[in-house]
Amino acid sequence: MSQQSTGTVLDAIIEGVRADLAERRERVGLDELRRAAAQRPPALDAESALRGPSADAVQVIAEVKRSSPSKGALAPIEDPAHLAAAYEHGGASVISVLTEQRRFNGSLADLDAVRAAVRVPVLRKDFTVDEYQIWEARAHGADLVLLIVAALSEDELRRFLALTHELGMHALVETHTPEEIECAVAVGARIVGVNVRNLKTLDTDVETFGRLAGLLPQEAVIVAESGVEGEEQIALYASHGAKAVLVGEALVRSADPAATITSFREAGAAARARRHVPEAEAEALAAEASSLREAPGPYFGDFGGRWMPESLIAALDELTDVFEKAKADPEFTAEFQRLSRDYSNRPSLLTEAQRFAAEAGCRIFLKREDLNHTGSHKINNVLGQALLARRMGKTRLIAETGAGQHGVASATAAALFGMECVVYMGEEDTRRQALNVARMELLGATVVPVTNGSRTLKDAINEALRDWVASVEHTHYLLGTAAGPYPFPAMVRYFHEQIGEETREQILAQTGRLPDAVAACVGGGSNAIGIFHGFLDDPSVELYGFEAGGDGVESGRHAATISLGRPGVLHGARTYLMQDEDGQTLESHSISAGLDYPAVGPEHSYLHDIGRARYEAITDSEAMEAFRLLCRTEGIIPAIETSHALAGALKLGRRWVEELGPEAAAEKVVVVSLSGRGDKDVATAAEWFGMLPDDSAEAELGEKGERL
Amino acid sequence: MSTTRHETSGADLASRILPPGLHADPGSRLAARIAECRAQGRPALIGYLPAGFPTVEESIEAAVALGSNGADVIEIGIPYSDPVMDGPVIQHATTTALAHGFRVADVFRVVRAVAERTDAVPVVMTYWNPVLQMGVDTFARRLAEAGGAGIITPDLIPDEAGEWFAASQAHGLDRIFLVAPSSSRERLDLVVRAASGFVYAVSVMGVTGARDAVSDVAEQLVADTRAAGAQHVCVGLGVSRREHVEEIGAYADGVIVGTALVQALADGGPEAVGALARELAGRA
Repeated sequence: MSQQSTGTVLDAIIEGVRADLAERRERVGLDELRRAAAQRPPALDAESALRGPSADAVQVIAEVKRSSPSKGALAPIEDPAHLAAAYEHGGASVISVLTEQRRFNGSLADLDAVRAAVRVPVLRKDFTVDEYQIWEARAHGADLVLLIVAALSEDELRRFLALTHELGMHALVETHTPEEIECAVAVGARIVGVNVRNLKTLDTDVETFGRLAGLLPQEAVIVAESGVEGEEQIALYASHGAKAVLVGEALVRSADPAATITSFREAGAAARARRHVPEAEAEALAAEASSLREAPGPYFGDFGGRWMPESLIAALDELTDVFEKAKADPEFTAEFQRLSRDYSNRPSLLTEAQRFAAEAGCRIFLKREDLNHTGSHKINNVLGQALLARRMGKTRLIAETGAGQHGVASATAAALFGMECVVYMGEEDTRRQALNVARMELLGATVVPVTNGSRTLKDAINEALRDWVASVEHTHYLLGTAAGPYPFPAMVRYFHEQIGEETREQILAQTGRLPDAVAACVGGGSNAIGIFHGFLDDPSVELYGFEAGGDGVESGRHAATISLGRPGVLHGARTYLMQDEDGQTLESHSISAGLDYPAVGPEHSYLHDIGRARYEAITDSEAMEAFRLLCRTEGIIPAIETSHALAGALKLGRRWVEELGPEAAAEKVVVVSLSGRGDKDVATAAEWFGMLPDDSAEAELGEKGERL
Repeated sequence: MSTTRHETSGADLASRILPPGLHADPGSRLAARIAECRAQGRPALIGYLPAGFPTVEESIEAAVALGSNGADVIEIGIPYSDPVMDGPVIQHATTTALAHGFRVADVFRVVRAVAERTDAVPVVMTYWNPVLQMGVDTFARRLAEAGGAGIITPDLIPDEAGEWFAASQAHGLDRIFLVAPSSSRERLDLVVRAASGFVYAVSVMGVTGARDAVSDVAEQLVADTRAAGAQHVCVGLGVSRREHVEEIGAYADGVIVGTALVQALADGGPEAVGALARELAGRA
């Protein structure tokens, strides 16, 4: 037990706290508290709540406080639960409940009442001088405790903080001076408060916060305490970098505490936003505004959004929040890069395909995503999302798959992370891609054939969404493409951006210049948006997305969503869709299961509308011709999906030859995203090509001898 | 097109998202009917049937049977190709309707029949893309002309409902949005302020389908939704028997039955729908 004397008002308060504590310990033993703590649901993540949804947000810790030593009686607060609920309505991120009884007129009963009334994290605000109180806080459902540095030795602070974390809670570590801040940093405090009240005089000086702000650790959540009379002080604290503000008196005396909290959050966010705009960052912001590369969503022009059942909105909010924080967390980005390098085999190669290119008349380079672990680009997104799922504490992954590439990648990540995995796959696709079904099962996943609708990718997504609505608490939906509701389009792109960034560096290194065109196949469009990302702000680089033209766009049997669809809403996003007059989704058709999808990622719809990227249809026959050509000329068996991009590159080259003449065309450079390898497609291809009859094109090629 | 954003900074969610001056229709037949049921000391019985199942004509007879045998409000569903909130029974019915040639405009015939031939208040339940494709304002105008009172929107949240706010006010229709057990308090506030007629409380995290027991989270959700200021809260998903109606009726303003009625229609035609409606209404 601490016998430390502070020479301040704290000494007298703590004396009373110890007396009351001894009394409670008589009545309720530590073992009983431990049992009660064990029965509570796990503590809520207060740190995350205080970090808020965005860099500029300022959170409010709203306090239930009847009186204080400095001001005496503040408010009677007959119904603390009611007041706390009003705080929550106003958008308070944490509710603080005073439980000290002598000076603050609080109690554990108040804590119980508030805990039962709100869903946000609750801070037990007391003078913690003994581990017993930390157990007590947890047993009463608190998610946060207060540790006042001035009242504790460094050793006590360290032990108390460790116990707090062990119990799943967080601690608000309160400081008043540079020395105390140093101590908080030394023990690894994650939430550091600066109380601007002088413990000796009990006066508050709001300028104290600004004076100490520079000493505060960047990675901790910074909380300003005391001195708030109105928006002015909130703005002052926020302008010095406060991420949250603890407010008591101003709220318990407010006629409309919910509205007051709302206005405080607004004032705080405005002040935080102002602090980084005037400087050099204004320039960066302006540049970002004109950049297409980093389109953040949720809207891309008129496309995107969250057209989803309310049941899933909380999960999308959580995912957005975790994703935004992860992007800014060097630990996360380092882990993602490490996995990409040591597990997926990144960076992938950029290979010039000279013999293949001879058929096109221009230079063609292949971005070799087929060399990634699991054989396609899909692994990038899957590893990123699995890392996020782990951050969210989710233990089960569900995924949809068309060709099976994403299902295999998901099953792989689940195996690597020790998670359960269920993959929904259209029954039609399980037949087309039987080998991939076996791969997923070997990796420990359960494959569920979907028998409703058109029995392809879109119906697999429907079924995955139905699963997710019922399982969202412990399940992450690992959507495989840059489509769906926000944040999926922006998030999936983020994990694939490395394709474009590597390609840009590699092509500059190999040719000394940017390419004339970049080509990728587009179903949902994840590999395409990943490689486009590298070149979106290079206006000289033409971007081509090649969609599945199936039997030909005039046949009606195709998946050329952008070429022939019109905007509508499907699977959570406003985007181009294949639909009838009534808005019923049309069945798409393609030889490639991975492109057999009647919608497309919303960012592609936007890039199409503003003319930055061009989308063209490639028929099954054209794709299969390119498939065969790459096999024979380069010794690479591509996925049939990818073959659409290869066929597109052949068309581009031939167009240049026609328009510019062979010499000029020969100088042109195209990069093709070789998004996946074709092992899975061998059966489909063999069926397509029959038994290589004598009059086939291969036979003709074969006669030319050296070209084979 | 809506230009709302999801970042949380500044004013509360509802103030940021909802258009100024958004109000509930004071002449709402739906709100009046639910209030009437309350005055009678019972929950409103709300029944769902898809238009066009098994055919448009039979769906009209089934809806009329439902309205003549105790349903206070009838939700006419629009069959849709990608019903992500529906379980197998309703999926099967709506797929059948589409296979039999259902067209979206057929829904207005069903609504009109309910309005003209029964005392029940008809509303439409629909996924949003069919409405978008007809044009939100056109759809709202035609629905109002047919005697419909509003639309239940399972995959449209207030955040994306800019056009619908305008059209519903222009044509005097109710906006029945959903709340779920997972909804945050901030979102409950948003939905309650955006909705009119009643708020549809989803009793479980899941899709439509009859369940043996109604989850106990429903009661808490109704209480929270009321605390957010909702006048009328009705509970759906999983309700199939009279005992559920009584249990939920003890705390909610209305009870929504879907799958059980669709199953009855599939098994025994409009007569079976009428019989089940009587039972659910406690008239059997």
